[in-house]
Amino acid sequence: MELTGRARGKNYLITAVSVAGAIGLAYWKPYVLIEGVQRAGLYAAITLPMALLMGVIGIVNLAHGDFMMLGAYLAFGLSDYFGLDPLLSVLPAAVIFFLFGAIVYIGTFKRVVNAPELNQILLAFGLMIILTEGANLLWTSRFIKISLTYVSASLSIGSLTFGTFEFVYVAAALLILIGLQLFLRKTRTGQAALAVGQNERGAKLVGINVEWTHLIIFSLSIAIIGGIGSLFLTRHSISPIVGFPYTLRAFCLIAMAGIGNLTGILWVSLILGVAENLVLSFRGYAGWADLIYFILIVAVIMLKSRKRRAQ
Amino acid sequence: MRRWRELLFTLTMAAVVTLPLYGGGYLLNVSNLILIHMSLALSWALLFWSGQLSLGISGFFGLGVYTAALSFVRAGIYPLLGILLGGVMSGAFALAVGMAVLNLRGMYFAIVTLALAEAFRVIIRNVPDLSGGPEGMVLPSLIFDGDPSKTYWLTLIVACLTLVLLMVVRKSRMHIALTSIRNDEIVAQSNGVNIYRYLLWTFALSSAIQGLTGGLYAHVYGFISPEGSFSLELVLLPIIMAVVGGATTTWGPVIGAVLLGSVSEFLKIKIPNGHLLIYGVIIVIVVLFFPKGIMGTLEERFQRDW
Repeated sequence: MELTGRARGKNYLITAVSVAGAIGLAYWKPYVLIEGVQRAGLYAAITLPMALLMGVIGIVNLAHGDFMMLGAYLAFGLSDYFGLDPLLSVLPAAVIFFLFGAIVYIGTFKRVVNAPELNQILLAFGLMIILTEGANLLWTSRFIKISLTYVSASLSIGSLTFGTFEFVYVAAALLILIGLQLFLRKTRTGQAALAVGQNERGAKLVGINVEWTHLIIFSLSIAIIGGIGSLFLTRHSISPIVGFPYTLRAFCLIAMAGIGNLTGILWVSLILGVAENLVLSFRGYAGWADLIYFILIVAVIMLKSRKRRAQ
Repeated sequence: MRRWRELLFTLTMAAVVTLPLYGGGYLLNVSNLILIHMSLALSWALLFWSGQLSLGISGFFGLGVYTAALSFVRAGIYPLLGILLGGVMSGAFALAVGMAVLNLRGMYFAIVTLALAEAFRVIIRNVPDLSGGPEGMVLPSLIFDGDPSKTYWLTLIVACLTLVLLMVVRKSRMHIALTSIRNDEIVAQSNGVNIYRYLLWTFALSSAIQGLTGGLYAHVYGFISPEGSFSLELVLLPIIMAVVGGATTTWGPVIGAVLLGSVSEFLKIKIPNGHLLIYGVIIVIVVLFFPKGIMGTLEERFQRDW
C-alpha cells in the first residue's frame, strides 16, 4: 500500500492525449471543461477522506456520503440559529464530526475490524440506512437551501462568463490532499497510519498502537467529510438522500485510482467530472450522465481482473 | 420426537395452504407480502452462502417487475409467461454482470450490485416511451383478475419452490463448494473448486429468483414505478429477514421472513415514516451482537444442520 504515491511520469502518451483532449474541449465546449473541473473538485474533496479510510483500515464506509449530508444539516442549523456563514462553520463542523466519528467508531466498527468483510459491509449498510432515515425523520425529505450572495460570483474572459465560486471545491480538494500528505509523512501518527495500512500485523509487532491509529484515522475521515458538508451547503440544496450518490461515485473513483493512491484521486475525479458535464451538455441526453460512474466502475473492474489474470 | 415434528410440519403446511378458506382479505395481503419477501430473502441467502454480499436485490427485482409488466402491456404476453420471462431476464443480466465483475469479489461486488438499482432507475427514467417514465404505469388488469386466493397460492408456490431449491442445493456438492469459498477462497481453489464458475451460476440463479419474484409482484399489485420497483426497502427487508433468521441456514430466512414480515406490517402502521430506521438499527445490532442469527445460533447449540 502506497498511500503517498506520486503520479508516475511514465505514461507520456496518456498525458499527451489527455492534454490534447482538454485543449480540444476548451475550444469546442469551454463550459464543459470549466464546470467539469469544478465538479471534479467536489468529487475529489469527498473521495479523499473515504480513500484514506479504505487505505488505512480497509473498511468501505457506505455511510460516507451520508456523513456529508449530516454535516450539511449541521451547517444549516448553525447558520439558522447563530447566523454563522457556512464557509466559517467548516472548522467547528470538523471538530464536532471528529468527536462524532470517534463515538461511531467505538460503538460499531471497532467490533468488526477483524470480522469477515461481509459483516463490515453489512454494518456500514445498516449505518447508512440509520443516518439517512434518521435525518428523514428529524428534518423530513423536503429540500432546503440557504441563499448566499457570494456564490453567484462570476468572471468574464472574452465572451466567456462563468461562476467562480465553485472553484472553492477545487481549492478544498487540493488543501485536503496536501494536508493529508503532510500528515502521513511528517507526523508520528500519520507515519503509524501508513504502516498500519501496509501491514497491520507488522505494525503491531514494531509497537504501533493499531487500535488507536484506527480510531484517529476514522475520526479524521469523518471530520473532513463533515467539514465538506458545510461547503456542500453553500451551493447545493440538501435533503436526507443527497449523500448516497456521492458515496457510489467516491467508491468508483477509489477503484479507478487504486486503493491507497491519494494523488491519483485528483486525476480520476477530473475524468469523471468532465465526462459527466460533457454528457450533461447534450440537450435531451442529460439524464444519462448519472450512468457514467457505473460504467466506469464495471470497466475498471474488468480491466483490473484482466491485469490480475495476466500476471 | 421425530414423529411430533413431522406432525407439526404437516399441520403448519395445511394451515398455510388453506389460508384463503378462512383468512380475511387483509391477512391474505400481508401473507402475500411476507411470501414475496421470503423468496427474496431465500435467494439472497443462497448467494450469501458463497460469501458474496449482494446489495442489488432491488435491481434484479425491479428488472423482473419491468420485464413482466412491459411484456404484458406492450406485447400482450400472458402474465404467467411474463413472470417467467422476468426471471430469465434477471438471470441473464446477472450472468453478464457477473462475468464482468465476479473476478474481483468482496466489496467490489457489493458496491457494483448496490449501484445496479441506481443504474436501472436512470435507464427507466430516460426511456419514458417504453417504460412509462418517472411516473410509472398502472397495469390494465391483475393476474387471475385479482382473485385473492389464486394470487396467494401462486406466491406460496413461488416461495415454496425457492425453499425446495435451497434444500436441494444444501444437500448437493454445490453447498460444500460454496461454503468452502466463503470460508477460505485459497483453500477452496487448491481443492479444485472453480470459484468463478460456482459464483457466476449462483449469482445468476439467485438473481433469476429475484426477477421471478419481481414479475410476480408486478402482476399481483399491478403498478410499476422507478422509485417503488427499485426501492431501498426491497434491499433492506430481505437482508434483515435472512440475517436475523440466520443467513447461513436454509430455514433461517423463512423464520426471519415470518417474524419480521409481521413486525414490519405493525411498524408501517405505527410509524409510517421511520420504519426503515428501525430496520437499519436491527441490521447493526444483529451484525454486532448476533452475527449467526436465530437458526445459526440454534444450529450451533444443537449441532445439527437446518
